[in-house]
Amino acid sequence: MNGIQFDTGHFEKRMVMNETTTAGYGRRGLGAWLLSCGLLFGGLGFATTSQAEMAEGFAEGSRPAPPSAEQVEAGKRVYFTKCVWCHGVNGAGDGPGADRLWPRPRNFNAGTFKIRHTASGELPLIDVDLFQTVTHGLPGSAMPSWEGILTEDQRRDVLAFVTTELVKDRSWQDTEFEEFHVLQLEKIEPVPPTAESVKRGSELVKEMKCIECHGLEGRGDGNAFNLKDDWGFSIQPADWHKCWNFRGSRQDAYNVKNIFRTFSTGVSGTPMPSFADNTTVEDRWHIANYVNHLCERDKDVDIAGGNVTDEIATALVAAKPRAIDPLTDKPKVDFVVPSKFVEGELPADEHDERWNLVDRRIVAMGGQITHKPRNFVTRIDDVWVQSLYNETHISFMFRWDDRTKSVQKDSVDWEPYEVNLGDYGIEEQPPGGSKFADDPEHPESIAAKQTAYQVFNDGLAFQLPIKWQELPAPRKPRYFWGDEGFPVDITKWTADGELKAYQGAGWDVDFEDRDDFTEQLKVVKAEWSNGRWTVIVTRPLKGDYEEDAYIELGKYIPINFFVWDGHNGDVGRKMAVSAFYYLVLEPPIEKETYIYPTLAAIGLVLVEGWILTRRANRRKGKV
Amino acid sequence: MTWLKLVEGYMPMQMISELAVCILVFSIINYSLKRAGMGLPKFWAGIFVWCFVNLFYLKYRIYPPIPFSVRAIYGTVSACGIFMWVSGSQQEWEEFKRPIINVLDAKTGMTKFIRTALLILLPIGLWGFAYNSFLPSFDEPIELRTVHPAPPATTKVHGKTYVLQTAANPYRINPEGKYDQAYSNAHIVSQDMGRLMKDVKNPEDNPWDPNAKGYIKHVREGGEIFFQNCHFCHGDNLNGRGLWAFAFNPIPANFTDAGTIAQLQETFVFWRVAKGGIGLPGEGFPWASVMPPWEQHLTVDEIWKVIMFEYWHTGYYPRTWE
Repeated sequence: MNGIQFDTGHFEKRMVMNETTTAGYGRRGLGAWLLSCGLLFGGLGFATTSQAEMAEGFAEGSRPAPPSAEQVEAGKRVYFTKCVWCHGVNGAGDGPGADRLWPRPRNFNAGTFKIRHTASGELPLIDVDLFQTVTHGLPGSAMPSWEGILTEDQRRDVLAFVTTELVKDRSWQDTEFEEFHVLQLEKIEPVPPTAESVKRGSELVKEMKCIECHGLEGRGDGNAFNLKDDWGFSIQPADWHKCWNFRGSRQDAYNVKNIFRTFSTGVSGTPMPSFADNTTVEDRWHIANYVNHLCERDKDVDIAGGNVTDEIATALVAAKPRAIDPLTDKPKVDFVVPSKFVEGELPADEHDERWNLVDRRIVAMGGQITHKPRNFVTRIDDVWVQSLYNETHISFMFRWDDRTKSVQKDSVDWEPYEVNLGDYGIEEQPPGGSKFADDPEHPESIAAKQTAYQVFNDGLAFQLPIKWQELPAPRKPRYFWGDEGFPVDITKWTADGELKAYQGAGWDVDFEDRDDFTEQLKVVKAEWSNGRWTVIVTRPLKGDYEEDAYIELGKYIPINFFVWDGHNGDVGRKMAVSAFYYLVLEPPIEKETYIYPTLAAIGLVLVEGWILTRRANRRKGKV
Repeated sequence: MTWLKLVEGYMPMQMISELAVCILVFSIINYSLKRAGMGLPKFWAGIFVWCFVNLFYLKYRIYPPIPFSVRAIYGTVSACGIFMWVSGSQQEWEEFKRPIINVLDAKTGMTKFIRTALLILLPIGLWGFAYNSFLPSFDEPIELRTVHPAPPATTKVHGKTYVLQTAANPYRINPEGKYDQAYSNAHIVSQDMGRLMKDVKNPEDNPWDPNAKGYIKHVREGGEIFFQNCHFCHGDNLNGRGLWAFAFNPIPANFTDAGTIAQLQETFVFWRVAKGGIGLPGEGFPWASVMPPWEQHLTVDEIWKVIMFEYWHTGYYPRTWE
């Protein structure tokens, strides 16, 4: 039996709970109560035995044994050494670090945990779900993996403390209200990720309305601003193209089972529901396969607004996962950005076949936290870069996921070349401590601000040293807009359509316009579509040697990147920044590359002949 | 597969024991096969051992990966070792050489085939190898940076000059309010796995105890500053694996490593924190480091407290002058 089933026990439990939960949880109380009443009465028509209540793929689970007092005490020692700094003394997610984090640390009090094997609304499995969360961390948030730092026993101890002392509104030992229906993930046979399955998944995400939040192409751009968690803090839908940032990815980013689990059990405390009741196990696998294959791989497959054809599905399935760096659990970063030679005109758009000549590089971005105003929350954590060049020009294609297209509407008081915007009220998030914790809509709280910033332009810039040829290696101008005596060539694109050449001479020094070079820059394409910017710009390889970076063949030219997300309040120094990369224009292959190996091979043939002759002579001599 | 994971800090030991187990298993198999009268030919055993160590273990197992030049050294050393092993006696050496001589002489159909194949494949292989090495490759250039450059004699922070030789952390005090490193050393976290506070019930050990005062209370204040400012890069466990560690190069310092704050004087750390990446001398690559000059964000007191927290949380003692 598929279709909607009603879990009456579950709703009764909710009704009782609403009377006992904290104020933060009670926010949803009345609505949930009315809803549960309605469903309860509506559901009375169904005969509900425990077996019938269970969605497909679930089985009755067992209740964990209560931990010993010693274990709780040992866990307290772990908690107050390692966890309290973010999760707070009472486990309310209000530690000293909380207010500069987004997503915020978990508030344990209501027993709401995101990543579970248990059915919607139920407490998680301590030994499996919570243990894995502590072991592997929650990527995309500040929660790290504690494996190798805490022993297995210490991890279990701290869970004993958290689940008994800090989860205050519910209890794993509550036999009256708490039941455990566990997804049998290891026993369910997966559906192989064939092109048919992926294509079916792409249709199902539309039927199931996943795209309303996650966006037509799954970049999390569907409903970026209206989503709140149970405590009223703004949150965002997942970007399916970055599986390494899935909270439930368990340091195994491309494992489809993680997606199947999240889809089957939902993400508690968020608007992401469980789809176990209204999808078959098979359909869930199709969706999981599709979502898994959207995660960025070696080839950038255009999925045409989610209208996946057989051809697209085949290409998605054929693409190979990217290497994940075990030190960071993110895609491996290569600090060399290659540029390849093409004949004739440089590509006019992203569909040009010649982009396939050159690898795309992921450029990891972090918040600018060196100088004020620091950016503690970046919503853009990577940019994909590709480059091609011809005799006179070089072209860069930048593609990055940004849930919102931000174009500045209101005029601002400063000029585009100004960098010290503190005078105009652009400030960093105050540390806050725990003072905003009780009030999610406190205007000073970072989560409240996430939906309320003045909108500035999205933007992207890259910086090359001027006269880098004269810098004694490894000397570079400072990564942040150069320094005195070592100026940099900054090319900055903004979402209002401007592409300008500036000279930078320090992090707090206003830019100087390079108008002559600006005239030679060209925005070939700048388009925001389904949660992703595609920006293609060209610039001459050479300009004025004294003012503009000369780009030469076969040389390592330091380059670094800056991105602004206008809806994140990014402007001026508030942005995301990369480390130094090297731009290398790969020269065409020279003749010597063929000649010397051929000579070596001929030499080896001669040596072979000599050895054989010698051996033959020796045997003759012996005989 | 968690048992297969190389654990930070234990990696060399894990590696050595894994190799020891491999050698043991190999010797047992070799010995029992010999007892059963099916001894492995020395030639193939030698090739197998060399390939296993150099082409598999050192290349794919070790993480972070070791550069080719180092693997080449290991490859040569292990080849020498294998030659010593196979040439222990004249008879063994003959036995080792026999497959090679057989192929050279090519008396049977099989060896004839192998000889012809090798004669053709070797030059082709060499051509491919040489072509690949002649192709211009653009690997990231290796740039050696001094992680702990020589500090200046004095540093001026918020208008006051600190002499690095004589300055002391004003919060490293005993209950009598006197500077006391021995007292603070006694109340840092324990040095075993997990590095936990010594006693959660003791207000002298637990910074979060409501009755905590003096040194341990300042540790908590330092921790609050750390988790509002520093963990983004240096990580929640101070191991240099924060949210943005993957975006920056040089990577953030790992304070739990014995090679960072554990071998530095507290005043050196004070100078590094106050002046940040931009304040490094040239050999420290001031242009590349995103470490903020914390004097722009924190007061002197806050800097001293956060340093004390870093020592408390990692269980290390600051190095002293004597």
